[in-house]
Formats: sequence, C-alpha cells, structure tokens
Amino acid sequence: MASRAGAGTTPTVKRALSPRGMLGENRPTLWLAPLLAVVTLFYLYPAFEVLRYSVTNASLLDPDYEYTLETFTRVLSDPVLYKVIRTTAIFVIASIVLQLLLGLMIAVAVNRASKRRLPGMVFMRSLVLSAWVMPGVVIGIVWAIILNDADYGLANLLLGAVGLGSVQWLATPNTALMSVIIANVWRGTAFSMILQYAGLQSIPEELYEAAEVDGAGALQSFWYITLPQLRPILMINIILITISTLNTFDMILPLTGGGPGQATEVLALRTYNVIFQNFSLAGGAVLAVVMLAIAMALTLIYQRLLRSEGSL
Amino acid sequence: MKRWAAGPARVAIVLLVVFAVVGCGGGGGVLTLDRIGREDAPKTMTLQLNNSYTHQSSTPTWADGFERLFTKFAEDHPDWKLELKIVPDEQSTQAQARLLEQARAGRAPDCANVDSFVVAQFIEQDALQPMDEYFDQEEIDGLFPFVKDVVVGDDGKLYAYWWATDLRLLYRRSDLVPEAPRTWDELIRAAQEAEQKDSKVDGYLFNGGRWEGTVFDNLAHFWSQGGELVDGQGKPIFHEGQNREYMLNTMEFLKEAVDSGASPERVATIKDYSEFESAAQAGTVAMFQGGDFQYPPLEESLPPEEFKKWEVSFIPTMNQGDLQRTGTGGWTMGAFSDDPEKVEMCAEFTKEVYVGEGNQVTGQLPTNPEIFEQEKKFQDPIYDTFREGLKEGEARPGVPVYPEISNQLQIAIGTVLTGEATPEEALDEAADASMAAYEQQSN
Repeated sequence: MASRAGAGTTPTVKRALSPRGMLGENRPTLWLAPLLAVVTLFYLYPAFEVLRYSVTNASLLDPDYEYTLETFTRVLSDPVLYKVIRTTAIFVIASIVLQLLLGLMIAVAVNRASKRRLPGMVFMRSLVLSAWVMPGVVIGIVWAIILNDADYGLANLLLGAVGLGSVQWLATPNTALMSVIIANVWRGTAFSMILQYAGLQSIPEELYEAAEVDGAGALQSFWYITLPQLRPILMINIILITISTLNTFDMILPLTGGGPGQATEVLALRTYNVIFQNFSLAGGAVLAVVMLAIAMALTLIYQRLLRSEGSL
Repeated sequence: MKRWAAGPARVAIVLLVVFAVVGCGGGGGVLTLDRIGREDAPKTMTLQLNNSYTHQSSTPTWADGFERLFTKFAEDHPDWKLELKIVPDEQSTQAQARLLEQARAGRAPDCANVDSFVVAQFIEQDALQPMDEYFDQEEIDGLFPFVKDVVVGDDGKLYAYWWATDLRLLYRRSDLVPEAPRTWDELIRAAQEAEQKDSKVDGYLFNGGRWEGTVFDNLAHFWSQGGELVDGQGKPIFHEGQNREYMLNTMEFLKEAVDSGASPERVATIKDYSEFESAAQAGTVAMFQGGDFQYPPLEESLPPEEFKKWEVSFIPTMNQGDLQRTGTGGWTMGAFSDDPEKVEMCAEFTKEVYVGEGNQVTGQLPTNPEIFEQEKKFQDPIYDTFREGLKEGEARPGVPVYPEISNQLQIAIGTVLTGEATPEEALDEAADASMAAYEQQSN
C-alpha cells in the first residue's frame, strides 16, 4: 500500500519540480519570480525601511539610533499635525470633487464630439493631457506666475483688463489654499478626463438607443445610464486622485512653500520639511506611515463601496 | 527614400549622434560633462559642485567663464582628472543633507561645494579635513571676520574655504525717496510718502513668504538690536530674555509696515528675490530689501535713465545709533578625503578656479577685502558700498537646529503678517517647536 502510494506521488512531485512543472499554466512560480524580485527590492523593501525608521529615533545628523516608540508619540501628539491633516483633507476632498466633475464634463463633451466626428478631438485630448504630463515643479512655477498677487500677475492683469480689481490669490490663508487647489485640479483633471472618457467609450450604444425609444431625455439618459455605467471607473478615479493628491508637494513647494504661515502645508510637504529642515528621519518616516495608513484606509473604503456598487 | 540611400543615411545619422555625444562630453578632451582633466590621467579626485558653479551653468556668461577656468586648470594639472558630480541648483538643500550623510558613512566626494551655513555642522561632525597648510596665512587672516568665524574651527584650523558671499541692502528709487532712511520709522514714513508721490508704487517690499530668504533677510533687524539666535552650545535662545524683546520688535515692525500701508499684504507671498526686480521693471516699487546680487541684473534690465534712479544703502535699524547689520551667505569648498594629496588638490582647485577668478566670473562678492581691489570686476564704486556693508556682515549660525529655527520663524512671520497670530503667539509657537527640535537632536 505504502509502496503503491509512494509510486503514485513521485511522478507528481517530479513534475512539479521540473522546469515544465514550474512554468506550467497552473504553476507560474518562475514566471512571477522576476516580478516578485522587483516588487520586493523596489517597493516592499523601501516600505519596510520606512516602517522600521518610524520606530526609531534616527536623524540625518547621527549614524546611531535606537528603536523606540517615542517618535510616534511625539509626532502624533503635536497639535500642528492635526492642523496639517485638516489642510490636507480640504485639499484632497476639493481636488477629488473638482477633478471628477470637470473631468466628467470634458469627457462627456469630447465623447459627444467624437461620436459626431467633429475635427480636432485628438488635438483637444492631447492639449488637455499636456497639463498632466508636466512635472509638478513646473506647474507650481507656472501657477506662481499666473497667481502673482501683484497687479502684473497674469490673473490680475486679466481681471484688470475687464475692469475688475486685483485679487490677493496667495496672500491670505484661505485664498492661498484655494489657489493651490486650483493648480492641482488643473493638473489632475486631464487624467480624470481620460479615465472617464475611456469609461464612456465602453458604454454600449444600445442602452442609449433603448432609452431614446422609451422616451428618455438627455438628462435622464445621463442619470440612469451614463452615471451607473461609469461607477466602477469613478471609484478607481477617486482612488487614484486621492493617492496622487495626498502625495503632492512638488507643486506646492514653488507655489507657496506651504505658506503664508502654514496655510498650505499638507502632509507630504510637512514630511519633506521634517526630514530636510529638522533632519528627523524617524519623524519623517512616522508621517510617511500616517500618509500610508490614510491612503490605505481610504482605498479600502472605496473598494468596499465599489464592491457594494458591483453587487447592485 | 530609395532603398540604396537608406543604409548610408542611417549610418550618417548614427555617426552624427556619436559625434554629438562625443562632442558633448563623451570623448577624450580635457573637459567633458562629467570630468575635468584627461581620461587617462593617473590621479583621480571626485568633485561635487553646484550646477551654477560649473561650465553647465544656466547663466551663459558663468558657463563660459567656468569652461575657461576648468580647461586651464586641467591643462595645468595633467596628472589629475576630477570626476564631476553636478547638483542641480534647486536641490542644493537636500544635497547638503545628503552630503553630510555620505560623509558620515565615508562615501562623500573628495571635494565639494559646501553651503556656508552648514559648514559648522560639518566641522562638528568631523566630516571636513583641515586645509590651512595649503593656504598662505595672509589668505586666511585677510578673510572678513564673519567668514573666519565660520570656516575656522575651535582648534584654529581652516576647514573650508569660503570664496563667494553676498549681503542684504535697501534699494530705493531716489526720485521717490531722496534720502536713505536710517531707522524703521523713517523707512515706513518714506514708503508712505513715496506712495503719495506715485500711486502706482508699493512703498517697501521685502521677503515675507515661506522660504529661507524671509528669515535670513529680516534677521538683520534682530541682529542690529544685538539679538542672538542660539547660545554657544547651539541651543535656541531667540525667545529668551532680551532676545525675546528684540524678536518681538522685529515682528512688530514687519506687521506695522503692512498695517500702515507702507508694504502691501502680498509681502506674505514673496519668496523670490526676482519679485523685486519685476516690480522695479514695472515701476511699481519705491524701496525693497534685496541682495547685492540684484544690482547687475537691475542694471541690465532697466533703461539707463531708470537705473540711474536706483540707489542702495544699508538696512535701517530700530534706533538711530544701532549697528546696521546684514545677513551674509555664500558658498565654500571643503575637502572630505583622508588622502592629503587630494586635500591639497581640492585647495588648489579652490584657489585657481574660485577665489578671485570665480568671483570675477559670477560677480559674487569676494570674502577677502584685498580681492575687491585686485579684480577688475569690483572696481565699480558700488562695490565699495558692498565691501563696507560686509564689515557688519553676520552669518547664520551653523548649528543643526538652525534650519528648523528658520522654518519656524518663516511660519511665525507669515502668521503675523496675515494677522493669524499676534507676534507673541507666533514667537511662542516658533520657540516651542525649535526647542523640541533641539532637544530631539541633542538626544
């Protein structure tokens, strides 16, 4: 019996260990190995290092450090952190809402125009996308020129030309945050539009035709067909906008530097400041972990929402 | 294209690309994109430089000047090749933090540009090698006092050579403000009068945005009262005793400038010296606190009759008799290698490329009054004013906590200017955060 059992399993084991077995359709170990290696080396290891540094008191000024939870306590009990989180929340929520709405509006317009074969749509899409491919630093500098509070700032020049007075775009805490949101929305709307445009293209034309036959108007078609069909894309879009906006600091640095005062200092910028001004590697790592936790929590919430939408 | 012509055309394109790459630095000349000296030179030194101070500078005259100096240096030292690591100018803050980390791990370049305000940190961390035996004693003794305070360690050794500096001054349009204001009150009054004379102008502009320039420029007001940011151990004391009063006076003056209308609210957003030049070109500013380095661009950008209106003077103080202090910054060269031959080569490179010659190329002020007399560039009478101003120069304290003090004071000035906090509240918050950073760094 035993010898029969042994005789029965040996070929299976041999097959599993053979190159053919490992590369077989149901055993993709070897195929995945390079990907696993890349993910481990370039994603998991750095993430692990950030987690490790967050439970130390490491500084850029001293090679020695100890493992401690004190940095966590110190950073999390700093009242400034909650002010920064509030600013970040406003920045992220406003960016999500505006990027979704504007992206959807442009996507619907481009989709309609494409269906009617209007000329210049490829140019239009490329033009909108050019904002997205621009580096954040460049966008920050460009918007700093546009929103310069002086009378010779571009936006104020335009307002002056139509007889309106200059606006203090960056000089007060509220307008500065609004200006940073405008710049971020300008950058992110293009990507949002592309995603939603792709979603619109995948909606079967028959649905609209059936709705038309049933006497539905444009608004009803949009509400009962377009939006429900777009929900999965909208959810993915929200996740991507959230993550990219949470990580934004390259654009804010040249635009406001986080000021006036701390009015536009978001979590990512604070992390940068803690590491490069305060030389606190551990403090920066704690903030990075906080950002990671927020991004993961939001992603899980969105995913759950997406699943429940799917089940409907 | 015909098939018979396609092959040779491809070869020609490939050759063109190869020649272009070789011409741009891939070849065997004495100066390439990443090397000074011949490729086959027997001795090697690694060298980290800011982009501005190389032949790749974005300012064409600087690029040409350094190309000439680097080429001459390579020809004069045929046994050496200097392998270049060039740091983009906008990354210089991170690069300095990274350099310190590399030095601690023994991986720093042999020789590098070191920001003058972090030199003390590098000395404290034993990252820099003494260079004094490669400089004449007169070259060291002749340095401005504020320079020696930074680059000479407690043991009397020279740990870096500070070759380029700058200072802050008050620029004014003499048609609107004929007399240089001496005190803060006179400055505010003069600004208001200028605005009455020409409704288009802002009376007085200064850096008030979230960046280092805001603190660095306005520290002159604090220093002129006798204020000190840190004590001998590097502990923040700007919020204690007399210093507290001096710092509050400074913040109140800045707030008063905005509240009185002498300065527009938008000073809270100014985080770039070029803002002042733009305002001068647009004819919308009567006075601004800027750097000496803005004088040549102003001269170039303004029509001669407009430029003639501009004059510079020292920064006004709270009281008539106070010293007119000014913030000074700039760049040094430091050696990190343990190899004495490389330390010597670093000193030679500094002397032959940057000291005097480099000042001539960039127009950045020398750190030794004698060079003002020797170099042709500095014969314009305006440089006499700059040289005089440097006598009251004050460098930022080169202590590890300074960047955080600066960060906190930037926030404090911003919140005071926008009315979010009173000077007292802003100062208390800045003090708490700076002390927390200090204690954390001391542990």
